[in-house]
Amino acid sequence: MTEIGPSPAPAADAPPARSPETWAERAGLLGAAGLKPVSEKLIPARYLSQAVGAVLSLALVAGCVWLVIRFDWWWMWILAILPVLWTLPGLLLTPRRVRALGYLDGEHELVTASGLMFRSVTTTPYGRVQSVEINEGPIARRFGIARLTFSTASTDSGGWIDGLPREEAERLKELLTRRGIERMQSL
Amino acid sequence: MSDQHVHGPRRTHPLTPLLTGWKVLAGVVAVLLAQNISALVDEFTWRRALLGGGILLGIALLAVVLSAVSWWRTTYEISEDGVTLRSGLLTLTRRVAPRERIESVSVERPLLARLAGLAKVRVEMAGGGESHLDLAYVTARDAEEIRTRILRVAAEIPQDAPAPGESAEAPVGPTGAAAGGPAPAPSGIGASAPAEHPEAALAAEHPESAFAAGHPEAALAADRRSDRLRAALHDGVTGGELIAQIPTSRLIRSLLRDVSLLVGAVFAVLWAAFSIGLLLTVEGYGFASLAVALPIALGLVRSAFSRVESGWGFVSRNTDTGLRMRRGLLNTRTDNIGSGRVQDITLHRPLLWRGPGWTRAAVTVAGIDATDDAKATSVLPVGTREELARTFGHLVPGLGTEDDSSLIEHLLTAPAAELGGTGPRSRLYFVGRRTRRVLVLPGAIAVRSGILTKRVQIVPRERIQGLSLAQGPIARRVGSATLSVGIAGSSAELHDLPLADALALQETLAADARSGRRYDRERTWPQPPLAGRPALAAAAR
Repeated sequence: MTEIGPSPAPAADAPPARSPETWAERAGLLGAAGLKPVSEKLIPARYLSQAVGAVLSLALVAGCVWLVIRFDWWWMWILAILPVLWTLPGLLLTPRRVRALGYLDGEHELVTASGLMFRSVTTTPYGRVQSVEINEGPIARRFGIARLTFSTASTDSGGWIDGLPREEAERLKELLTRRGIERMQSL
Repeated sequence: MSDQHVHGPRRTHPLTPLLTGWKVLAGVVAVLLAQNISALVDEFTWRRALLGGGILLGIALLAVVLSAVSWWRTTYEISEDGVTLRSGLLTLTRRVAPRERIESVSVERPLLARLAGLAKVRVEMAGGGESHLDLAYVTARDAEEIRTRILRVAAEIPQDAPAPGESAEAPVGPTGAAAGGPAPAPSGIGASAPAEHPEAALAAEHPESAFAAGHPEAALAADRRSDRLRAALHDGVTGGELIAQIPTSRLIRSLLRDVSLLVGAVFAVLWAAFSIGLLLTVEGYGFASLAVALPIALGLVRSAFSRVESGWGFVSRNTDTGLRMRRGLLNTRTDNIGSGRVQDITLHRPLLWRGPGWTRAAVTVAGIDATDDAKATSVLPVGTREELARTFGHLVPGLGTEDDSSLIEHLLTAPAAELGGTGPRSRLYFVGRRTRRVLVLPGAIAVRSGILTKRVQIVPRERIQGLSLAQGPIARRVGSATLSVGIAGSSAELHDLPLADALALQETLAADARSGRRYDRERTWPQPPLAGRPALAAAAR
């Protein structure tokens, strides 16, 4: 490969000279500086929603292993690896993925960020928001968190924030709706 | 006619059921015949024939009765609040196009409807998916009147005000030739009639626009006759300043200069020769290889034909309700794109069009589905530099530079390195760094891309809806990121910019997005510099 460009951390571009506070900032993720983290309760919530899949793949692995032992089908080992490969990254990376989420309800716009490896940072001015929605599944409700989804006229922008404490989600929805009306911009 | 504000509930033309139903009937007959043809021929008796014919007749009658009832129950209404379409046999459905959501109105005339002198009016609304309302079918003359009414409702122009630039709206189509002139709006008020006196040079160049945009009361009888003929030929797109007109010869030459079509044709000929050779030398394989090539050849012909169809007899004119376009060989259509509705414009210049300097231009309008062969949004199928400059000037509020049209030409022709602006820098993007550039201009951002076909996408900065910065693992290693600029109904992707540039751009454009136009009455929005001001058309040349 060619010479490595500037270090991935946008540290040079981050205006406030303060010590990093969140995990995402310390990890030097793109655009993480100054963003609020989402609730840590999202980690157990996500684990819980992954549980069914994990149990299923565990059962598959167990089945394969049993076949290997019972009938001496050695190639079943290969099949046994597949569910592991399928589930393990999710189990290992969930905490970091959750900590990589961030949002900031700024003066004029809402900034959301997500992703560890494939990271995206979205900026949406309040005046362009067309609809706001709060989703709360049974698992999320148990942990007292909710997911906020918003959209603009563009198919490309808009976004979501997962793992917001319920009051925070309500506050953001209120904010987006109010600011949206105040600063309504046409297409 | 112009004294009534509300277009009361009306039915579509009585021939509608036939036009919409014949396909179903033909399909039923075709399926029945295709499946049983041998049996029918083998066991032919008059008794059976009569029985079969009777059953078919019964089905046809039932279909006719059903569709007649459904036609009877279908009414449309144009009021100050928008367009309402009521339909349904047992459950009444009521579809509404609210005034503020109407984006554009087009008149389509498929071949059969055209033979019957009918047309379909399509009201495009803002919003995704199936966001349109079809009034099908009405007489061609009614279609024009409905179109004008809906556009006026949408633009909040009172129905009794005159329509400058559309004044000589002569009745169109085979049925239209009979009536003298229930022109939807007689010409009048000078203050609000910017297109009334097209500038002299243009009028001299195209003598027809002199009276087309001018004074119907002064037009002589002889003029009237030719006027009517011309109106029939151009589907009524005769009023207003001429922006672009594509001669058939240019259209054909543009097809001959289309690389993909050329390659396809050469391949088809070679394949045919190969198959014939095979046919002569080896038994049994020639037909098979011909049969394999047949769908491809058909696809080629179809794509060429659709190109012809979308550019044949293309005329665009500037009216007070926006750009008005007419096109079509077998199925003709007229579209209307309001200047305030254009979200972005994309210019294409294929390899072999560089010589004559032709350009294809398409716009994004929220609500008009781009997948629908993009006919309504293709504002210039193949245009010269002057036509491009005029079209651009009438649709987009401008780039904010001193000489927009030469800048556009520069963007379409110059090598990427000479364009300035920013673009991919890392050696990893060995194609992108030679072809992709992003220019931030005072009024818009311009994105150039393409190796053989040069493509320039221009997004007015006030239209930006939101921004999204994305970075994958490889991009992180080389220090680049992709900025996606969201606009209504589309987006502009600024691929692989250096990270610092991407962050700076995001900062700048985010400021644009939030300080864009406040929701307000449309007339206070920035207007394209040339819209409604024909005198400037010469300056853009």
